[in-house]
Amino acid sequence: MIGILRYLRGYLRIRVWGFSPERFMNLCSNRDILLWDIVRDGDAYYMSISLSSFYKLRPIVKKTGTRVAILQRYGLPFFIPTLKHRKVFLVGSVLAVLFWVWSSLYIWDIDLEGNYQITEDAFNEFLMAENVRIGMQQSELNIEELEKAIRRKFPQVTWTSAKLSGTRLQIDIKENDAPITVEETKKAEGTNLVAEYNGIVVSMIVRSGIPMVAIGDTVEEGTVLVEGLVPIYNDDTTIREYQLVEADADIVIEHMRTETITLPFNYVKKKYTGRTRSRFFLRVGDKEWRMPMERPFLVYDSVIRQSRPLIFERLSIPAYWGSYTYREYQNVEYEYSLEEAETLLNENLTIFLSTLEEKGVQIIEKDVRIDTSGGEWMLYGEFLVQERVGRSVDTTIPDIGESETNE
Amino acid sequence: MKKNQKTPKKEQFIDSLKLPKDVCLGALRVTLTGNAEAWIENYKGILEYTENVILLQGKTCQVCFEGNRLSIDYYTNEDMKISGTIACVRYL
Repeated sequence: MIGILRYLRGYLRIRVWGFSPERFMNLCSNRDILLWDIVRDGDAYYMSISLSSFYKLRPIVKKTGTRVAILQRYGLPFFIPTLKHRKVFLVGSVLAVLFWVWSSLYIWDIDLEGNYQITEDAFNEFLMAENVRIGMQQSELNIEELEKAIRRKFPQVTWTSAKLSGTRLQIDIKENDAPITVEETKKAEGTNLVAEYNGIVVSMIVRSGIPMVAIGDTVEEGTVLVEGLVPIYNDDTTIREYQLVEADADIVIEHMRTETITLPFNYVKKKYTGRTRSRFFLRVGDKEWRMPMERPFLVYDSVIRQSRPLIFERLSIPAYWGSYTYREYQNVEYEYSLEEAETLLNENLTIFLSTLEEKGVQIIEKDVRIDTSGGEWMLYGEFLVQERVGRSVDTTIPDIGESETNE
Repeated sequence: MKKNQKTPKKEQFIDSLKLPKDVCLGALRVTLTGNAEAWIENYKGILEYTENVILLQGKTCQVCFEGNRLSIDYYTNEDMKISGTIACVRYL
């Protein structure tokens, strides 16, 4: 710090010799003139002195009978005059500063944070549609309007904040964690519960409606289990009117479920030959320059590696470099061995069973066999399950009932 | 005799008030770091400065630094710093 200040104000290295240099130094310190790096060499003393103090030396030199010679000049006051001979340099630095100021009027980077459901691609498309892009002028951007547009376009965004920090547009969003609930339209009419499978009723808890089956009954698909039509009787046990309710019940039916999982004998897999070729590219904004290259292989896939140097990231400059790596491969047909087929089929079966369990289905018995008769691997499973049933079906008041009440 | 009595009294007075002695008595204050650096305060001026000897004038006494390649890093009215290889500090 002291060094920088000294450099800014300028200082000199001087040589002092003559009658009494010690007295010279004492007088300097008395008049608050700072001397540093004092070294004696033979009869002469060498020391540093600031430029402003140097002009006060004349009376001291006269008084002490010493002589002073300037050896070297340091600092900005001596550097600036030399710039006069370097006009191009001066013009260059002024232009650099102007370019710096001018380029800071634009947006050079857009940063999105807090997105989980909304993909970055979807958001970028939205930004393009809103005409918010890298390289736009900051004055063209209306941040409040952008925030509103984000909330309009993405209903799952509960909070959004966009701010400009330097040349970077930083967008923070917060998504709604809870699933979006669609309000069900309330039906005025009553509903029946009907069976979805053939099977035997195992348990029944009815909350509203009139049960039409009992535990142990065999039901078929489409049989009404609980009716949403509740009759109200007159004193003479004739039906006065019907009241419509939404039938609601927990009914468990035991029935057979079958599931077949198939797997072809052969499958095609990429076999990499190990031959790869790389191609470097440089990307600035939307422009991309690739190293010229012909079609590298007959069949290949490519891996893109892209990186941005840290300094460009810090400065929000959209410049990237990286490489395309082309990997040659051949499509090779393989045959599943018995073991492979079994493991794959069993894996699929486990997935199927776990989805059943997630739905609350209890498996009582299972019978699984693997077969190759159909020209492919086939897993055939029969499961005796206990499963909740009940599909709501609209019901209406029967005409007869109505006519009876009218009479 | 009078003078000899006076000094202890002044010292006693300063001691009782817990005042810093270097300020009130104008004593030289020398801080040494190893044998390579020395900071000196409360001096009047330089009497002699060569590569091997630096003689300083204090208010009541003189102090002489002897050594090799002695140089003054800075020199102001209040304090100074000497660096080099200091072999001996003597009060005259």
